[in-house]
Amino acid sequence: MSMIEIENLSVHYPAKGQLVRAVEGVSLRVGEKDSFGLVGESGSGKSTILRAICGLAPVSAGTIRIGGEPVPTPRGRAFSRRVQMVFQDPYASLHPRHTLDRTLSEPLAIHGIGGSDARVVRALEDVGLPAAFRFRYPHQLSGGQRQRVAIARALMLEPEILLLDEPTSALDASVQAETLNLLNRLRAERGLTFLMVSHDLAVIDHMCDRVLVMQHGRAVEELTREALAGAQMKTDYARTLFEASADRMLGS
Amino acid sequence: MATMTEWLRDPSPSSRLQARLGQSYLAWLRMRRNPLAMVGLFIILLLLAMAAFAPWLATHDPLTQNLGQRLLPPGTPGHWLGTDDFGRDIWSRIVYGSRITLYIVTLVAVTAPLLGLMIGTVAGYFGGWVDQVLMRITDIFLAFPRLILALALVAVLGPGIENAVLAIALTAWPPYARVARAETLTVRTSDYIAAVRLQGAGSGRIIWGHVMPMCLPSVIIRVTLDMAGVILIAAGLGFLGLGVQPPTPEWGLMISSGRKFLFEQWWVATMPGLAIFIVSLGFNLLGDGLRDVLDPRSSGK
Repeated sequence: MSMIEIENLSVHYPAKGQLVRAVEGVSLRVGEKDSFGLVGESGSGKSTILRAICGLAPVSAGTIRIGGEPVPTPRGRAFSRRVQMVFQDPYASLHPRHTLDRTLSEPLAIHGIGGSDARVVRALEDVGLPAAFRFRYPHQLSGGQRQRVAIARALMLEPEILLLDEPTSALDASVQAETLNLLNRLRAERGLTFLMVSHDLAVIDHMCDRVLVMQHGRAVEELTREALAGAQMKTDYARTLFEASADRMLGS
Repeated sequence: MATMTEWLRDPSPSSRLQARLGQSYLAWLRMRRNPLAMVGLFIILLLLAMAAFAPWLATHDPLTQNLGQRLLPPGTPGHWLGTDDFGRDIWSRIVYGSRITLYIVTLVAVTAPLLGLMIGTVAGYFGGWVDQVLMRITDIFLAFPRLILALALVAVLGPGIENAVLAIALTAWPPYARVARAETLTVRTSDYIAAVRLQGAGSGRIIWGHVMPMCLPSVIIRVTLDMAGVILIAAGLGFLGLGVQPPTPEWGLMISSGRKFLFEQWWVATMPGLAIFIVSLGFNLLGDGLRDVLDPRSSGK
């Protein structure tokens, strides 16, 4: 069964008087407990697909199904408990005036889940942060630590699907690897389904079983990890993208 | 004392309270570096002390008339700021008048910003027609000069201190709504709001718990800077006879009663005028200092 099914998704929205066609007729399927990558240069519409799934961008045409059912509009609380998202910039995705405790217990409060003290401490430990960080503010943390908090927050509601919007592109190389390993570990432990966006094929190669290459809001080519490793692309664009990051992929 | 500051500066606080107090302590340290803000704070504290200890600081009853001793100049033994046209001690009246000033300032500072914050954040967060309706109402209020609008309201409601406060609060909220809306517009598209929306939070929770804390610093700064204006409008209403009624010792009213002898007995109007000036200055200096401390753009990440 497919966890995420997207058929002919188009996202158009007006910006400065012009219609922006961010995504045009993209289809994809992500199986249960799979890890699926979306790759492309900036402006290719890959992040917009994630935002459209969450209801943060308008769906102009096509359907999105989660676990076989079309998503409701507005998305609603049941959706929140199935699908969560980790944003790109950990400096912008945590409320600057809330302690980590507040940030992590907010989803529990919204859904009326009790025992938040124990859950917050456990969530911090799960992402490898000391429990002593609980009452710190985001500005007292490094970028990598903030991203761990963002991951912990996304997991507070125990979702089945995690949407990852370039979760490591704002971090430096050593922290990137740590964060990716953390995500892989959490996926294995909890049986999560990942839909991950990146402009970096090396990251996708490390994380994903299948990848969809996008350009100018359209799907270019879908590849399995084996095809990616064997450089068996059919389109020129995917090959160019592959060659740009090939040396780092071989290194990893 | 050392352990107290250590507790406050602990990088890993162990409770919500400690985290919040620690942040306030750091803000206090930043503010202490600004001497003008400290002068402002000192003046405000002095005003608070004056209001609290009025019966002990005043040398005379502020209401007792003594026509034998009317219009004594400053420096007269027993009346070091002189007396007014009914022979009442001006120092005692200024001391008791601080209570009324503080009463007006506090009530306005509690009501107007709250109203402005709610209207501004709701307008900014929802946008569309809600924004249009709320901001056009705000524009209508902004289109009138504040004192004129306050005068009209007091004229309808009748003179008196509560009505003066009500009139000032009703004319003071539009700028706060503007500030809060502007701040909300920059915040509402941010990732942390998207994240909490994705968690299924309702609009009320987002506006109250996530948007308002971001608007609060700029509104607090604005409030402190506006307090001088509020004191002046309250004094203006008193001066025009529409605010506090005689014989209550209100500073604006005192200036108004001294107007008749401004050239011969200058102190009757000048002393309460100086009091208004000093307190307004204090609020302005404090507001400037708070801007340096609270403004998220200047304090860094």
